Amino acid sequence: MHDHRSPTQQERSRLLRLCVLMTVGLLTVITLQGTAQTAETTAVPTHPAEPPITDSDREHWAFRPLQRPDLPQIRRKAWPRTPIDTFILAKLEAAELQPMPEADRATLLRRVTFDLTGLPPTPAEIDAFIADTSADAYERLVDRVLASPAYGERWAQHWLDLARFAETDGYEHDHVRPNAWRYRDWVIQALNNDLPYDEFVRLQLAADELVPDDESAAIATGFLLCGPDMPDINLQDERRHTFLNEMTSTVSSVFLGLQMGCAQCHDHKFDPVSQLDFYRLRAFFEHDNLFKEHPVPTPAQRADRERFERRRATEMKQLTQKIRQIEMLARAVPKASANNKQPAEPSDIADRLDPPQRKKYRDLQDRLAHWKKRRPPKMPMGRVMREPGAVAPVSYLRVRGDFRRLGPQVLPEFPRIVNTSGASGFTPNALTSENRSSGRRTALANWLTRPDHPLTTRVMVNRVWQFHFGRGLSPSSSDFGYMGDMPTHLELLDWLATELPRLEWSLKRLHRLIVTSATYRQASRPITTADSATIDGQSPHERWQLATQIDPENELLSRSPRRRLDGEAIRDAMLSASDSLNREANGPGIRPPLPDELVRTLLKNQWNVTKDTGNHSRRSIYLFVRRNLRFPLFDVFDKPDTNASCARRNTSTIAPQALTLLNSRLSLSAARNLATIALQSADGDRDRQIEICFLRTLSRRPSADERRLANTFLTEDSDRLRRQSRGQQSAESIAGVDAETEPYEIAALTDLCLALFNLNEFVYVD
Amino acid sequence: MRSSVRDRFRLSEQIARPTSTDRRRFLLHAGGGIGALALATLLQGDGTLTAAQGATRQNGSIRNPLAPRQPHFAGPAKRVIYLFMHGGPSHVDLFDPKPDLIKYAGQPLPDSFGQVMTRRKVANNPLLPPIKPFRPRGQSGLEISDFLPHLAKCADDLCVIRSCHGDSVNHPQSVYQMNTGSILMGKPSLGSWVSYGLGTENQDMPAFVVLPDPGNGVKGGPPAWGSGFLPATHQGTTMRAGLNPILNLQPQPEISLEQQRAALDLIGKLNARHLVERDFDDQLQARIDSYELAYRMQAAGPELVDIRGETADTLRLYGIGEKDTDDFGTRCLLARRMIERDVRFVQLYSGDTNGWDAHNDVASNHGVHCRRTDKPVAGLLTDLKRRGLLDDTLVIWGGEFGRMPMSEQGTGRDHNPWGYTVWLAGAGVKGGITYGSTDAVGLRAAQNPVHVHDLHATILRLLGFDHELLTYYHNGRDERLTDVAGTVIKDILT
Repeated sequence: MHDHRSPTQQERSRLLRLCVLMTVGLLTVITLQGTAQTAETTAVPTHPAEPPITDSDREHWAFRPLQRPDLPQIRRKAWPRTPIDTFILAKLEAAELQPMPEADRATLLRRVTFDLTGLPPTPAEIDAFIADTSADAYERLVDRVLASPAYGERWAQHWLDLARFAETDGYEHDHVRPNAWRYRDWVIQALNNDLPYDEFVRLQLAADELVPDDESAAIATGFLLCGPDMPDINLQDERRHTFLNEMTSTVSSVFLGLQMGCAQCHDHKFDPVSQLDFYRLRAFFEHDNLFKEHPVPTPAQRADRERFERRRATEMKQLTQKIRQIEMLARAVPKASANNKQPAEPSDIADRLDPPQRKKYRDLQDRLAHWKKRRPPKMPMGRVMREPGAVAPVSYLRVRGDFRRLGPQVLPEFPRIVNTSGASGFTPNALTSENRSSGRRTALANWLTRPDHPLTTRVMVNRVWQFHFGRGLSPSSSDFGYMGDMPTHLELLDWLATELPRLEWSLKRLHRLIVTSATYRQASRPITTADSATIDGQSPHERWQLATQIDPENELLSRSPRRRLDGEAIRDAMLSASDSLNREANGPGIRPPLPDELVRTLLKNQWNVTKDTGNHSRRSIYLFVRRNLRFPLFDVFDKPDTNASCARRNTSTIAPQALTLLNSRLSLSAARNLATIALQSADGDRDRQIEICFLRTLSRRPSADERRLANTFLTEDSDRLRRQSRGQQSAESIAGVDAETEPYEIAALTDLCLALFNLNEFVYVD
Repeated sequence: MRSSVRDRFRLSEQIARPTSTDRRRFLLHAGGGIGALALATLLQGDGTLTAAQGATRQNGSIRNPLAPRQPHFAGPAKRVIYLFMHGGPSHVDLFDPKPDLIKYAGQPLPDSFGQVMTRRKVANNPLLPPIKPFRPRGQSGLEISDFLPHLAKCADDLCVIRSCHGDSVNHPQSVYQMNTGSILMGKPSLGSWVSYGLGTENQDMPAFVVLPDPGNGVKGGPPAWGSGFLPATHQGTTMRAGLNPILNLQPQPEISLEQQRAALDLIGKLNARHLVERDFDDQLQARIDSYELAYRMQAAGPELVDIRGETADTLRLYGIGEKDTDDFGTRCLLARRMIERDVRFVQLYSGDTNGWDAHNDVASNHGVHCRRTDKPVAGLLTDLKRRGLLDDTLVIWGGEFGRMPMSEQGTGRDHNPWGYTVWLAGAGVKGGITYGSTDAVGLRAAQNPVHVHDLHATILRLLGFDHELLTYYHNGRDERLTDVAGTVIKDILT
């Protein structure tokens, strides 16, 4: 792929190099074609025709060796709670700004709960936290939230966006991949178990090689294989080529924060990434068995299977022996009615036996047939990496990205710009113990997770930061090249990048560090609280005003960013508020019913609704992901298309979102369920009903003003419903509530809940 | 460095950031929102925030992604109707007469044509002559097959490009390419690029509407009208005939409109308080506005699809009420009604999962699909013309590819992406002409070949865009509809 800008002065030299390379490259292609067989031993990391990596390339902020910066000097020494705050405050002070005071407790609770679990706090959690006046109440809250399984279910979605995870192929037939969910579950479990990030990376690239004794470990490599695929294309070479290039681009984008995709056709126009770099990276993954499903049993399942097979073999051997013995004996006896001496056919054998022996013979035969028929315990299957053998296939550059045009042969090598160690990507000696696999991906995984790797930790801590604050320290979180955005806080980014290995690569410890910072705890709006004393002569309001003037985009984090929930969290929050969220974890993707209008447009079997209706209210992460049919609620709230890795979601504000939240079946049924809860637990006490509804949707109690508004609304709405005789329908299904006397109350309360689900405050987290 | 390079070609985003005074004025006057008195009370009531303090700026800026925008230059076309013939209509049977196909019928393709890649290995099959005769039509003498007697009357309005070609013999890849320029799924479609580039004049309706075939099942599915890496706002919104044309456009049956209005008023009041406490955050304001738009859409949608006010003459023109043409005719009429309401880009699909994919019997397959679409398409062109809408509306007709000159299973034809026909009509294109040609038998584009990228470049040009400058920065690259290619076909422009 190309880029279309006119080059600036700085870019011209690179373009010039490109032209030279294209000419030389053409010659190279011609000469190397003839020597392809010997190239295996003669390949060098840098091809003569490749633009060399210059010193200035190595000076780019993201490629520089990682060094742990010192903490900067600050004036207001009492504010920081963590080193993060020192870095943030230093920049604020340099801009003559002061951070905002800490947000109130209810806000903090809602913020950190949604952030880490994708769910709202329950009324009990709210009361408990507000009542907890101990000094470390917040820290203990964070620990509790991080320990909740909901944490992995939330953060897995961020990772699955990066992994362009879906459960179908896409393209024409959009075939279902029946085992794709195993990778989704693996990610959730890895996060919940706080699998160290280096291990998390290594397993997704090479678990099959790294953990050869546990076939189920290979499920992690689903990361590489869960992209779109076109199995029906005429030319299978084209399919394989497209798939491998997509995999290569995704790996570099996710782990390295390098957009190498453009280098599949030609040298990158801006970044120091050559086309050879691209195909060398691709060479780590090439093998001829990419599209097959493989068994992925746990060791116990494998042992079960082997035990069964051993037993079957033994049984069959014994049975066969016994049968043979009888047959031999029988053959010695001439058939009662036969005169000839021909050896007896097996079918005759039974005739030659006396009845007890015949019964025994038949019985043995039956048992043998039974064992022949018995199937061993079924092995779980999965699309995972499993190379057919230890020998890696020969890889080639593809001229202009055309799968039909082989360029020079390439060996697996790390991209030169980040390979400061000089390590070679792959030597044939790096094979695993049993040589079942080439070991190429192990070499890549080990190199990527070196603690001094300039990109791996920089990229990851920036992603984690982005998911907490809505924007990374470098906003282009999958592009750390020249075209990416310079970090707003480079020293902080480097400090965090060196911190991650010190935290033993624990993502939970990294989360904890971030969310317990004073930076994270700031208010997101102008407020007056206990610690809002005047600082440097500025009141909180003056501080707010200055912050919004000097730091309008909040790049300096002079206040906490307000964030809109995504579609998945909105659905989970509505189900949770109405106590209808089914918290069961894991398993194949769930297909809840779709709106009738949509169902009419579907192909046969495109969306077979999950039979067990109880599953329809499972968390959003467990809903089936079809490439060609996004779940409508998520679609409208910017769920990314699953055809390419998505580093950061859009946040659009469009009318169809309002239509969905106002008019969808999901909203109404959640509103009705919430109304029911309010009625059942505060029978007759309208004020208490209103309070319950606010608490469950907005995580706070209503103000006096809001109580008054809600009360007036309920009165007017139930009067109107009574006049129009509407509302019975709503009352029918509510247990424990007198439908005779209260149908309009219930319907009005449902309307109130529906309104609450539509508030800005419901979908935005302060 | 980057931003300067990028900004140079960025579309003009003249939408000024509203000042908070503007925002407050909006609040004061917004229908259904909170009344002026209540707001004044809010602003001055409890003393935590005075009106003056409310005037500071807040996080980021928000602009409506669908606000109307100026293209690079004044283009003749203001809007587009794209008639997509799904499955691949046969150019050699409809718009591209080949005397040699009759002459050499039954014989294999001469060796001089070299190797042909086909989907179903038909390269060595005998040549199949056109199913029906062609005749010169109109004043221009443009040749159109007897398959299309109604459209033949519009011949003088058509600009028939006979030398189109694409890159894949497979359906989904070609459907994606015709719509997005790329054979890979997940790139933004033409309609979404136009929505991104021009926004829409009618804020009560989406900018890009798709009317799928009721049989549905476009090969490749909704990504054909997806927005890829462009903001989701720009993806095609599917609409159906009938009372509920857009998903969730109406409240659930249990909720009356009056009830909903009351709920909306409560939402407005609570949102206004929330907004004031948050210093008039633009994002929150934008979301408040979106509720008013949604409310208006609920009224605009049903009004749009309600064709009871159309005259009997108009209905007849489109073939509405006739068995074969009722569906496509109704959708063509809806397309005109959308265009009248300033929807920017309307795409209609003809053909279910198989559609025009005439592998085993061109006569019966194309017989059915021509019968269903011929009169409606001609009716649409006639109606647009008599209303003066054809002057600034571009109509596009075509499938994902054409069909092979060789036969398949005796009387069918296989896919042919190497040479086929697409026609344009209306704003800015010459009528009654052909452009380019295929080889002697219609196998490959020969003279003045027009790749899909060239077609896209030309369509963008007609809308006022330089296709090289309509870009969107994504994953390290300024992406465009025409990738690194595309040449405008100047000869067909008026």
